[in-house]
Amino acid sequence: MRLTIRSARAAFIAGVLAMPGALGAQDVAIRNATIITISNGDIPNGTIVVRGGKITAVGANVQVPAGIRVIDGTGKFVMPGIIDAHSHAALEGGINEGSESVTPEVRVQVKNDDAVIYRALAGGVTAALQLHGSANTIGGQGNVVKMRWGSSAEDMLFKGAFRIVKFALGENVTRASSTAPADERRFPMTRMGVEFTVQYWFNKAKEYQKEWDDYRAAVKANPKSDAIMPRRDLRLEALSDILKGDLKVHSHSYRADEILMLIRVAEENGFKVHTFQHVLEGYKVADEMARHGAMASTFADMWAYKVEAWDAIPFNMALMTQRGVVVSVNSDSDERIRRLYQEAGVGVRYGNMAVNDALKMITLNPARQLGVDKMVGTLEVGKDGDIAVFSAHPFAPNAMVEYTLVDGKVLFDRSEAATLRKQAATSPGGNQ
Amino acid sequence: MVRRLVPALPLALSMATAAAAQTNDPAGRPVSKSDYALTNVRIVAAPGRVIERGTVVFVNGRITAVGANVTVPAGVVRMDLAGHTVYPGLIDAATSIGLPSPNRALPTPADPAAAPAGGRGGGGRGAGQPLGRGGPGVAPVVLLPEVEADAEAADMFQPSDADLRALRAGGVTTVGLVFSGGIFPGRVGAALTGSRENSRLALRTGAAQEVSFGTKRGGQYPGTGIGSVAFIRQSFLDAQYEARVDKAFKAGTPGARPSNDPFSRALIAAATNTIPSWFVASNERQILRVADIATEMELKNPVVVGSQEGWRAIPALKRMGATAVVSVNWPSPDSVTGRVFQAIGIGKSGTAPALTAADTNEVRGNAAALIKAGVPVALSSFGGASGANYRERIRLAIAAGLTPDDALRAATVTPAALLGVTSAVGTIEVGKLANVVVVSGNDLFAAGSPIKHVFVEGRIY
Repeated sequence: MRLTIRSARAAFIAGVLAMPGALGAQDVAIRNATIITISNGDIPNGTIVVRGGKITAVGANVQVPAGIRVIDGTGKFVMPGIIDAHSHAALEGGINEGSESVTPEVRVQVKNDDAVIYRALAGGVTAALQLHGSANTIGGQGNVVKMRWGSSAEDMLFKGAFRIVKFALGENVTRASSTAPADERRFPMTRMGVEFTVQYWFNKAKEYQKEWDDYRAAVKANPKSDAIMPRRDLRLEALSDILKGDLKVHSHSYRADEILMLIRVAEENGFKVHTFQHVLEGYKVADEMARHGAMASTFADMWAYKVEAWDAIPFNMALMTQRGVVVSVNSDSDERIRRLYQEAGVGVRYGNMAVNDALKMITLNPARQLGVDKMVGTLEVGKDGDIAVFSAHPFAPNAMVEYTLVDGKVLFDRSEAATLRKQAATSPGGNQ
Repeated sequence: MVRRLVPALPLALSMATAAAAQTNDPAGRPVSKSDYALTNVRIVAAPGRVIERGTVVFVNGRITAVGANVTVPAGVVRMDLAGHTVYPGLIDAATSIGLPSPNRALPTPADPAAAPAGGRGGGGRGAGQPLGRGGPGVAPVVLLPEVEADAEAADMFQPSDADLRALRAGGVTTVGLVFSGGIFPGRVGAALTGSRENSRLALRTGAAQEVSFGTKRGGQYPGTGIGSVAFIRQSFLDAQYEARVDKAFKAGTPGARPSNDPFSRALIAAATNTIPSWFVASNERQILRVADIATEMELKNPVVVGSQEGWRAIPALKRMGATAVVSVNWPSPDSVTGRVFQAIGIGKSGTAPALTAADTNEVRGNAAALIKAGVPVALSSFGGASGANYRERIRLAIAAGLTPDDALRAATVTPAALLGVTSAVGTIEVGKLANVVVVSGNDLFAAGSPIKHVFVEGRIY
């Protein structure tokens, strides 16, 4: 028994160690499955081929090239890898630099060997936005990552994605639940203070931009100018990048009033709120969000879990979608990240969303919010081979993820994991 | 900051003197009973430079003659060391022994039971705030500030006599002094492990600027590891700006007005590559962070202290042109980045598979792998015990693939250069300090090979 486990483990480990970059992406075909393309309907008895990490063919009549790995998809459902637009999974060095109220110079750090990545893969998740926390008005910059389990921290970063910064409004920022005396608490302590903080710092950012513009103009006019290159301020530089549209704002929010406040302040200052996060009262102000061009990433249902979540309803996703807001449903949790497909299904039950529209909330829509929709989010030729293979339709109650592929590499295989677990469980002494 | 090279005389002078009169004290003083001639001894003068049978003469703390045919001056103490080998004293390139720290308190001199041996009169610059631990009989502890760029480790070195004995017992005659914790806790220095008086231990201040991914206490910014990275980047940028303004100010540019902020001013040397930066980083991800910062800030020849997972980050180390001050205080193989990749699917998640000899070898073979890949390596005990333990760990690193020559180089010549004390220590050469180790047999790193004598600046221990 012991030997069996050793050899199975050795084989598995050999496979794991072979995964990172050293070998090229696997070539793989999934045949005879129902393929949910998201962009071009569902293909019954379809085939999808991934070569060199990219989708090279998808359709009903597709020739499978000789010599590549073939997964029999009979009875299975194939969909684009799930994308989580709001996660704090697999981070290290802290989630909240909450010591000051404005810290966009800070950037979250990937913990590439956190087992939550593998659990996310087991839930069909292939990419996520790792966000800074919501302790401060303007928090740190996030990372868009691919769940490349086995890769280095730098190789997990999703190249070509948006640079994204976290804003936050409401109770978390004002430290509403803090028991510290008021004179020991950090500014701002009210929603008024939050609005002031945003306005104040963008005024500073504009002064900073002017300082640099003046310097560049002076040097351009006279290359021998003795103008001194200004001080680089990483905080104001990040805010300046927001004004230029190079750094996208994802703002934690719950209530309609604070959502409208941030839209107004953003428009006054000439930047855009790219995506509202949580946005539980978004259904009340969906038209205003759509007009501003803000997208929404929300929970399926988080009614009254805190005071400012009192008006949350499960129809939020459907209602915002109806009014033209691009909506995603996110996990914000190392637990829910494993079952985002069930969260998306809530939209069908509450609000009668079309099944494909509900699935978009965990594929194409978050891809748009993260700036990776040219690469992932649908099953189309030329896109990345990021794929989840389900045992049944992802909205079926008994559906389980059987395979998850990232860049064409099978990084989760339920049968392999189950076999190894079973062997370990029946072995005396387990895996000690 | 004035660089000090406390006891070392200019090498050129001592060489010239030595050529004229091989065995006389450069200062012309007569030889005495505290001067030695080691005769009939095998001499490993430097890595790869062996004299099978020869003599080494020390006069007044310095090496005045080395060779197969050396005339022993009258009056020195003659030691016949047939069957022994003399090596350059080992250098532990990074230790925090005898140093206060931003995160590790040393007892204050007020506690007589644990008073340091040194006579450097504690306190002073960088002594930090005492944090009362309350209660009678409990001395207040001193924590250093997390940010004090010009605090000098060599000025604060206050080892106990037991610390020094332990270092020497392992053949360590010189230590690189690196604070434990903080963000910019101060500057790296070098010190000897023995002297007539402990106030004379310091050999060199200002060898490098130390940078560490620590946080500030008391809810101040930066309070997290992610904030620390941003703080470090901004600090280098501020110092570079301060340097630009200062230069313009001195050139008479109208409007130029340095801030004269003490922190930025102190960091100018490192930010403009006048002195190197030593980053404390042990695992793969920390080393990647150092590479990002060093590249962005255009830091030349940064040093990565600890570097315990260096073999996993070789491209990053090479990209930034780093030297690794590899700690032989190895991590548990189970804690190494990537170990958990192998755990998945075999039962309890987060539990790695059983350790094998290969896993241990990988961790211990770090220095060997780095040298093989062309990354310069100095060895250290950083984060762990030095002394006898240090020599034993080097022996195990050799067993894991390090060649004995590379090991000796990494524990003598390379750290001497990194610490800026090449003119004083690292090899057995005329003019250098008489820092040597005498071992029975012919291999300093053989298991259990007893150390017969250790000389530090000519004093026998």
